[in-house]
Amino acid sequence: MIICLTSANDSGGQPESSRLDRCLLGIADEDSQALADLYDCTSASVYAFALSILKNTQDAEDVLHDCYLHIYSAASGYRSSGKPMAWILTITRNLCLLKLRERKRMADIPPENWEPYLQACENASPEDRLILTECMKLLSDEERQIVILHAVAGFKHRETAKLLELPLSTVLSKYNRAMKKLKNHIGKEY
Amino acid sequence: MANKDTEQKIRQAFSNTVPDIRDSILSDCKSQKGAVIIMTDTNKRTFSPRRLAGIAAAFLLLIGGMAGFRTYRANYSVASTVSLDVNPSIEIQVNKKEEVLAVNPRNEDAQIVVGDMDFKGSNLDVAVNALIGSMLRNGYLNELANSILISVDNQDPAKSAELQERLANEINAVLQSGTFDGAVLSQSISADSKLRELADTYGITLGKAQLIQQITQQSAFYSFEDLVPLSINELNLLTESGNLNLANVSSLGTASDKAYIGQEKAKQAAISHAGASADKLTEYEIELDFEHGVMVYEVEFKCEGFEYDYEIDAVTGAVLKSGKEPDNDYVPPQTDTAQPETGSSSQTGGNAPQTDNSSSPANNGNTPQTNQSPGQASSEDQNSKASYISEEQAKNAALSHAGVSANAITAYESDLDREHGIMVYDIDFKCEGFEYEYEIDAATGSVLKNQKERDDDYIPAQSGGSQASGGSGSYISEARAKEIAFTHAGVVANAVYEYEADLDDEHGKMIYEIEFKAGNYEYEYEYEIDAVSGSVLKYKWDEDD
Repeated sequence: MIICLTSANDSGGQPESSRLDRCLLGIADEDSQALADLYDCTSASVYAFALSILKNTQDAEDVLHDCYLHIYSAASGYRSSGKPMAWILTITRNLCLLKLRERKRMADIPPENWEPYLQACENASPEDRLILTECMKLLSDEERQIVILHAVAGFKHRETAKLLELPLSTVLSKYNRAMKKLKNHIGKEY
Repeated sequence: MANKDTEQKIRQAFSNTVPDIRDSILSDCKSQKGAVIIMTDTNKRTFSPRRLAGIAAAFLLLIGGMAGFRTYRANYSVASTVSLDVNPSIEIQVNKKEEVLAVNPRNEDAQIVVGDMDFKGSNLDVAVNALIGSMLRNGYLNELANSILISVDNQDPAKSAELQERLANEINAVLQSGTFDGAVLSQSISADSKLRELADTYGITLGKAQLIQQITQQSAFYSFEDLVPLSINELNLLTESGNLNLANVSSLGTASDKAYIGQEKAKQAAISHAGASADKLTEYEIELDFEHGVMVYEVEFKCEGFEYDYEIDAVTGAVLKSGKEPDNDYVPPQTDTAQPETGSSSQTGGNAPQTDNSSSPANNGNTPQTNQSPGQASSEDQNSKASYISEEQAKNAALSHAGVSANAITAYESDLDREHGIMVYDIDFKCEGFEYEYEIDAATGSVLKNQKERDDDYIPAQSGGSQASGGSGSYISEARAKEIAFTHAGVVANAVYEYEADLDDEHGKMIYEIEFKAGNYEYEYEYEIDAVSGSVLKYKWDEDD
């Protein structure tokens, strides 16, 4: 069932907007290859962002799934404003907030719950597992979302501020504090 | 360790732990796509987004082949959509076997009608019968409002026509068995995207949208928006009274106008307001019409030198608008029996002034009449300005006639003008939702003409009071607010249903409250959009249950 992940994110930073726009246009024409491409380019960001909000892999997977179905049915209404990633992550965020309300639970998942899931991820190296665990454990919700948007989705801090409806200065200071925490831990233990 | 390296590691970690559900998403989307092709577009609630159901459906399609596919399609896909509109609007989706798949109430009244009845799997006829029964019980169909609109949407026109006729006859029979006669309108829907958009925008069924569209196409007096709030009975009455011939719509029975006061009462109301007597009326006309959101009788007649123009509220009998104007063609009746002869001699010979009757009228003439002319009392002093009343006096005359106080009026305008051969003050103003127009005789101060009409632009004073000078000019349009909400929600306009929007004053701030449902998720969306800046103040997405 597991198929090799082809991440277009290797180069770092945001996947090219024009490429995503082309995918969205294709999806509007019901081209399933375009949807597959879009998934490959963006699923890591969507999942990571969802996970950073929801802190539960099962819920994040649900949102990941719903997000692409939503994109599929909404793509024909999408008008390019040069920010397809922001559009996709707005949908993701909205779906996550829905999920939170639906479950009526904001409670943190104890760290040990992660182990079985991480063990099941064949692609994850021990270092990956450590980083993920630390991200979840060390960072506050907002810090985690800010870090993920920047590091995984390749968002500029300005874009993060807009999506999360936070002042830019808050985003910047939280980002720096979060990175310091992460570096300390990851550096020491690994 | 540099930030960049840490970021790289985080990115790596998340990329490597993403669950791979690409195939499941693709197959779910395909099953959606398949469904969209099979079904009529009206059906917006096709599949639950639940992954398992989607996979199961895809799987079924795969292994079942065409045979399985056919059974599936016969059982679960929407073959026809039937909508019933009275004022409650209900949509019924049925499969090929005419078994009900879903009954969707489209407005609040419809929810009352449907109640907790569950029609899933029952026969279409049974469902229709039960719904009509419920409408009767709940008083939506009665002696006063007896019209129902049936709209059938099936891709096969022949099938549509057949179903339409059968349901029309059936419902007519049900209504006929009651205590009153029903009026059944029926039509087949040929929905294009424009119609669909209209229906979505106004939150009405495609059926009602099509009916209104046809009426507006036939008659330039009505706009689509005006007619939306009307019940089917009212639309039916308009169609009948305007003698509109609507293609595609077949009609059984006559719409009831018993909810209205009737022509005779409307006539009485107008005559008594005018202070005229019924036996002196000429050129009397009456018509049921729809103006400014209410059903009105338009009454026009002439009496003793004046033309009267009335709008009478068809339900309450209140005078909504009254107009009185001197009748330029008026020939005052002579007490003298010689009058008819005078008339004829003036036509033949043209020597009217020389006839024995010295007080013969000269209506268009320049010679002022010192008597005889009712309401136009002495007005010779056309040249001596000194003898006119002041503008202030004219204003007072108008205000006291209207019964409003000077400090309550707005948009006041006055103008000294020459009309019908005499000098008059034209005075216009607005007050508490009405527009007034007066002509005051500049010599005598008497009211020559008065008209009172609803002010369409009137916005009742807000208790918040922060927007007295507001007007709607400084707000974004509702269409724009809708666009903002749709963009935020990431939904397409044609996937939206049960759309409602409202401009509202919340704590002195004008906002658009927008609610809609969309897509295959059956989510309910609620938005509050700042009417000035267009920013999203609040939003809520909820799973519809």
